[in-house]
Amino acid sequence: MFQSVDQAIASLEKEKYICSKEIATTVYLAMKMEKPILVEGPAGVGKTELGKVIASSLGMDLLRLQCYEGLDEAKALYEWEYAKQLLYTQILKDMLGSMLSNEKTLADAVKKLSGEEDVFFSDKFLLPRPILMSIMSKKPTLLLIDEIDKSDSEFEAFLLEFLSDFQVSIPEIGTVRAAIKPFVLLTSNNAREMSDALKRRCLHLYIDYPSQELEEKIVTLKVPECSSHLVRELVKSVHAIRALQLKKEPSISETLDWAKALAILGRDVLDAETAMDTLNLILKYEKDIELVKKNAGKVFVH
Amino acid sequence: MISAYVSHKKINKKFYDFIDILKDAGVPVSTAETLDLFTALGHVGFDDRHVFRQTLRTSLVKDYTDIPVFDRCFDAFFGKKGPAKGSDLPSAVAGAMEMESLRDEGLSEQDLDSLTALLDDFIESLDDAIFFERTYQEILTLFLEDPVVASSSGALGMIIFNTRSRGQHGPMGDSGQRPDETINLNQVMLRQISRRVDERKIGTQIKDREQYLLNKFIYQLKPDEVKEMKELVRRFGQKLKNRISLRKKRVKHGGIDVKRTIRKNLQFGGTPFKIYHKDRKIDRPQLVVLCDISGSVNQYSRFMLLLTYTLQSLFSKVRTFAFISNMVEITPLFMEMNPDTALNSIFGDTDFTYGWGSNYGRCFNMFVREYSDSLTSKTTVLVLGDARNNNQDPGLESFIKITERTRNVFWLNPEKRHLWDWNDSIASIYREQCTEMREVNSFIDLSEFIDKLFTR
Repeated sequence: MFQSVDQAIASLEKEKYICSKEIATTVYLAMKMEKPILVEGPAGVGKTELGKVIASSLGMDLLRLQCYEGLDEAKALYEWEYAKQLLYTQILKDMLGSMLSNEKTLADAVKKLSGEEDVFFSDKFLLPRPILMSIMSKKPTLLLIDEIDKSDSEFEAFLLEFLSDFQVSIPEIGTVRAAIKPFVLLTSNNAREMSDALKRRCLHLYIDYPSQELEEKIVTLKVPECSSHLVRELVKSVHAIRALQLKKEPSISETLDWAKALAILGRDVLDAETAMDTLNLILKYEKDIELVKKNAGKVFVH
Repeated sequence: MISAYVSHKKINKKFYDFIDILKDAGVPVSTAETLDLFTALGHVGFDDRHVFRQTLRTSLVKDYTDIPVFDRCFDAFFGKKGPAKGSDLPSAVAGAMEMESLRDEGLSEQDLDSLTALLDDFIESLDDAIFFERTYQEILTLFLEDPVVASSSGALGMIIFNTRSRGQHGPMGDSGQRPDETINLNQVMLRQISRRVDERKIGTQIKDREQYLLNKFIYQLKPDEVKEMKELVRRFGQKLKNRISLRKKRVKHGGIDVKRTIRKNLQFGGTPFKIYHKDRKIDRPQLVVLCDISGSVNQYSRFMLLLTYTLQSLFSKVRTFAFISNMVEITPLFMEMNPDTALNSIFGDTDFTYGWGSNYGRCFNMFVREYSDSLTSKTTVLVLGDARNNNQDPGLESFIKITERTRNVFWLNPEKRHLWDWNDSIASIYREQCTEMREVNSFIDLSEFIDKLFTR
């Protein structure tokens, strides 16, 4: 666990993740308060990455649950292993037969059998999915519920019990409570609004594009082969490009791709010509590229 | 240390005040979030402003569209710069210094403390209604007449008594023996009260300003208000979008999905134990927007376009046309620029005018001739304009064709209802053919209309 906000920043930096004080504060608080975090923000600002680096920095197990439309309990919480149950019944047929042979009536047989049915609905036949796994784990665990906005609102509803009490109720067995509370991170791309009930159970963190200074630090850390001069020019251009009205703004991961590419090309300065030729690395739409080319004077230094 | 600070009643009051201000400004804060805040405050120090601000933000604000409002409230309440250290909040510092100045009037340290305490208790006991309805002077009078305050003794009691009697006899009254002192006290107290009242009103002021702008007739907006308004449209547009998309998700289930039901129920030996439903196709309307961009309704069209494009993802297809007396498709422009720049650029590049003033008839004819491929049975057409046709042919035949080929035609008219048909307006002629003609003046009207569009 992080001991202070500053320590959180330092530990994450060791994992090559530069974060602002805002991000670190929320992470630190969430750990202290044992609450989940709902992370929102544009695509590619490192929401998922944040979960990964927290896990590796604190040596936690990382469990990841990717949400999609139609994701249900069976895929997220737990499932009974029907096939195994059937198989066992087949194998144990003889035993069942001999066990029931002494019973005279059907009613007695059913009674005897129902006394044993717990065997078939025990954790031996339970297939835990990420959420249940995170609860049953004996080690500190980080559960990353990715792109929660892609799931249905029903799914959100049955997350509620888990998020507030870190427990899951299984009708056949009872309530499974976490021995060690997992650290939960939910990410959302704002495809839809989350329900108030879910938000109330979480701390909220909005990650925006980083400041110029912060992004320079990120690039320097991740692409050390880039000269500091190039990094400055590159980040400045990216920020200028983001200010234009684009269909899809370049995110941090695109800045990094660009920096890597320029380093491979062995450039020391970002001249307009090189920039134009490599624009397709950071912009995904033809229209956006054209727009940037039109505004080249404003965007590029050389 | 810190928890001792936090448990301190007065500081807690500060946070409750701040939460009230957020609520006034329209940011919902529930009890659970308030509890979270106090738990969180136990874990952090107040000396780092970023950490302090983020602690408040992360526990209280759950909707990212509310973050700008939170930031404004925070800056106004806790001051713009410098660390926020518990009770050493900037306004409190200034207040304490003012109180100090009363020492020169012969008040002892003790008197000052008790005066501050009296004032604090009094302000705390006040009803919200008094804050919002009374003037500072009235609140001061209430304070001086408060039984607890009036019964103070010693030098403090003397001064309060004098101030009160001066107040009753007017500032130039003849009963005050030491006029300077009472005037000073009067002013200091007034400033103290006004500061506290203003602080309490931060949220309402933000909300009032928003409401004022959103309800103001769009064509009456001043240039600086237009700028502010654009921010607001973006924020409220996002909120509207989130709300509508949530609603869409809720009514999702369609009929039984036979394939999936059989497949899923194989584990029960084929007995249909659990029924699976088809996901109902989300019905996203196709939108065709026809905007009159002549001088009289230009501003209004801009906001409508801004809103439409904020909500773009809710529609399966949006096509936009602008006209004065020529109809021009401007959809591609909006693909690459924001509505504002797009609108500015089309004025430079395109010729909308043919002859003089708006010509609805000519434009409808042109539309049917050239762009009728955009009309399907799923299309909703929005016409924005005042139907002032400058006494020209209304092109009714073409307009009827448009209504026949589409699902709905809504006409949004920024003019007041009683002005429809007045002078060169031919609103009723078109109105008879539309699904509905609506008077839509302000942003609130616009967003209400869009909201309804999805519940139809």
